[in-house]
Amino acid sequence: MKNRMRTAAALTALLALVGMSACGRDDGGGTTGEPTQQAVEEGKASGSLTMWAMGTEGEKLPDLVKKFEADNPDVTVEVTAIPWDSAHDKFTSAIAAGTTPDLAMVGTTWMGEFIGLNALDPTPDLIDPSKFFEGAQATTVVNDTSYGVPWYVETRLVFYRTDIAEKAGITEAPTTWEGLKDMAKAMQDKGGATWGIALQPGATGSWQTVVPFMWSNGGEIINDDMSEFTFDEDKNVEALAYYQSYFTDGIANKAPAQGSTEADFASGDVPMFISGPWMMASVETTGGEGFADKYDVALMPTKEISASFVGGSNLAVFKSSENRDAAWKLVDFLTTDETQVEWFGMSTDLPSVKSAWDDDALKSNEKLAKFGTQLETAFAPPPVETWEQVSASLDAQVEKVTKTGTDPAEALKTVQQEATSIGMG
Amino acid sequence: MSTAATTERKPRSRPGHRRNASEARAGLILAVPFLLLFAVFTLWPVLQSMFMSFTDTRVNDIRSPFSVNFVAFDNYVKALSDPVFRRAALNTGVFVVVGVPLTIAAGLAAAVALDKGITRFRGVFRVGFYTPVITSIVAVAVVWRFLLQPNSGLVNTVLGFVGIDGPNWLGDTRTSLLSLIIMATWRNFGTGMIIFLAGLQSVPWNLHEAASLDGASAWQRFWNITLPLLRPTLLFVLVTTTIGYLQFFEEPFVMTQGGPLNSTISASMYTYQQFGFGNYGVAGAMAYLTFLVIVVVTIIQFRLTREK
Repeated sequence: MKNRMRTAAALTALLALVGMSACGRDDGGGTTGEPTQQAVEEGKASGSLTMWAMGTEGEKLPDLVKKFEADNPDVTVEVTAIPWDSAHDKFTSAIAAGTTPDLAMVGTTWMGEFIGLNALDPTPDLIDPSKFFEGAQATTVVNDTSYGVPWYVETRLVFYRTDIAEKAGITEAPTTWEGLKDMAKAMQDKGGATWGIALQPGATGSWQTVVPFMWSNGGEIINDDMSEFTFDEDKNVEALAYYQSYFTDGIANKAPAQGSTEADFASGDVPMFISGPWMMASVETTGGEGFADKYDVALMPTKEISASFVGGSNLAVFKSSENRDAAWKLVDFLTTDETQVEWFGMSTDLPSVKSAWDDDALKSNEKLAKFGTQLETAFAPPPVETWEQVSASLDAQVEKVTKTGTDPAEALKTVQQEATSIGMG
Repeated sequence: MSTAATTERKPRSRPGHRRNASEARAGLILAVPFLLLFAVFTLWPVLQSMFMSFTDTRVNDIRSPFSVNFVAFDNYVKALSDPVFRRAALNTGVFVVVGVPLTIAAGLAAAVALDKGITRFRGVFRVGFYTPVITSIVAVAVVWRFLLQPNSGLVNTVLGFVGIDGPNWLGDTRTSLLSLIIMATWRNFGTGMIIFLAGLQSVPWNLHEAASLDGASAWQRFWNITLPLLRPTLLFVLVTTTIGYLQFFEEPFVMTQGGPLNSTISASMYTYQQFGFGNYGVAGAMAYLTFLVIVVVTIIQFRLTREK
């Protein structure tokens, strides 16, 4: 017995030693060599493909893919729908284990991380990158190499109640920062609204509204060669101070109840908010029949430019794919004008391809067309690996600024410090 | 973080008996499947995560988990000097110090009431008190958010009847943690109640009878007979509730996301966030700090409530 114990102890020690000596990073850097962009073989796609997609996209995609299979009789595509909640973990563990699908829908904010993990295949020439909205295309690019394409997009506009605006003596949508604030104030003073506008007082995702104001003011949160964050520059401070003034002037609620935006908008308590295209269906459902005529959307107000946030999802092909050519052909199919318009009809996801917006299905809806206009000047956060953590730091400071009146300059200095110490991965 | 309690007994070796040696071997062979599974699925992850907490592991390293740098206690220093983590630790402390006694008191009161006081519809009450324990937190959270709505919620409406202008429960830093404590108490006291009910069965009735003949009041009897006899049960409920509350996560995760202004963020939730950000090393260190606190608190509780 004792002998065996000793052997076990020796074995454990040996294992520990092996573990230790295997420790330490390679100095050569993990990703050796330049990313190589390979051409895709011509002809029809063949073989089998697996694809992952999240949420409703995952549910509806199989119907769209049937057409691709009809065009390319030798190919079979298996779409796996995965829930958003567990998607990120599933991707990272699949990348670690080398069990990724051939291609997948990838959230725009995950691109930096997956590229850092050396998991994605650079986009081949087969797909013209200039056909996409610039801001959306930028989410796929790291170090001048593009690793995927935008699939669908969304952007944020100002939603406002036309009937209440009229009561407050406003007939035209605001186009400037001052105009937006005056309008919110007027709706509160003369339009009978409790709050002028619903703005997010910090907490997860508030950066999606705050950072566009910085861009609008000509500010940038990262320098041109993406080597340093620049949160604390004056233009950004100005923008955050403007955002703060809505709360200090009592125009926006510092502690709104969760999930009450639609109801408050319909009742007229809060007749303005900034959000994405999905809110059109939501407020029209909450507001009931005829509500569509009582509200409109407007482009983000201009300081230097009218800037908004671009979100959505990308399509990416994984390096470990054994059927890479067919995978890129499927990506190409999904980003043709025709498919993009058809997909809009199936899912209401907005096309990432600019020319698809010339189709009547999108053009005929005036409100929707404005989203198309805004997309020309909508931007995405920099594709750095650590963006989730950096943006959480910004969200925390935005909360302090809006709720406790912290000085915006002070707050952004903190964000800058934290972001710098977090680094870019 | 769960600690698997394993009780392995060494076979007593009686020299000179061959039969026992072969029995021991048979025992070992029978134990091998479990030991293997235990080593692979419990021991290995525990050791790996401990190893991780002493290295600069990030999400990029998941493909080559051993080619990372050893950083000694850097992650622990980083965790302890992080103001948000300290805030999270404080919140967790408040949650435990206020929440545990409240939950135990509520559980004990409900158990005594069901044991002695309530005679009608006992089953209905028992089911009613236990239902929150087995209801999904997600469904519960939706209902509680409605209840706690500042303007139209039931709680503030009722307070309005008596002329009190109720606060914005979840949106105000002064009441947000309190709201979660009350919700957690409501959600968890059923477990304690069931265990106390079982414990109360073992309190002999004749002791009560004798004491009441001697003129002891109901309160005196509860204090001097019921409670001392319930000591082992009490210890069990105390330890399990405390361990559960030290890891409190679901309530802020579904109700407040840790806000407003980090007033409800808990140590577990912040650790989870750090894992999400890909900082595996720091997150591992935070998890082990929580683990350490749990061990220490549990030891203290065992010492304090030990039979004298």
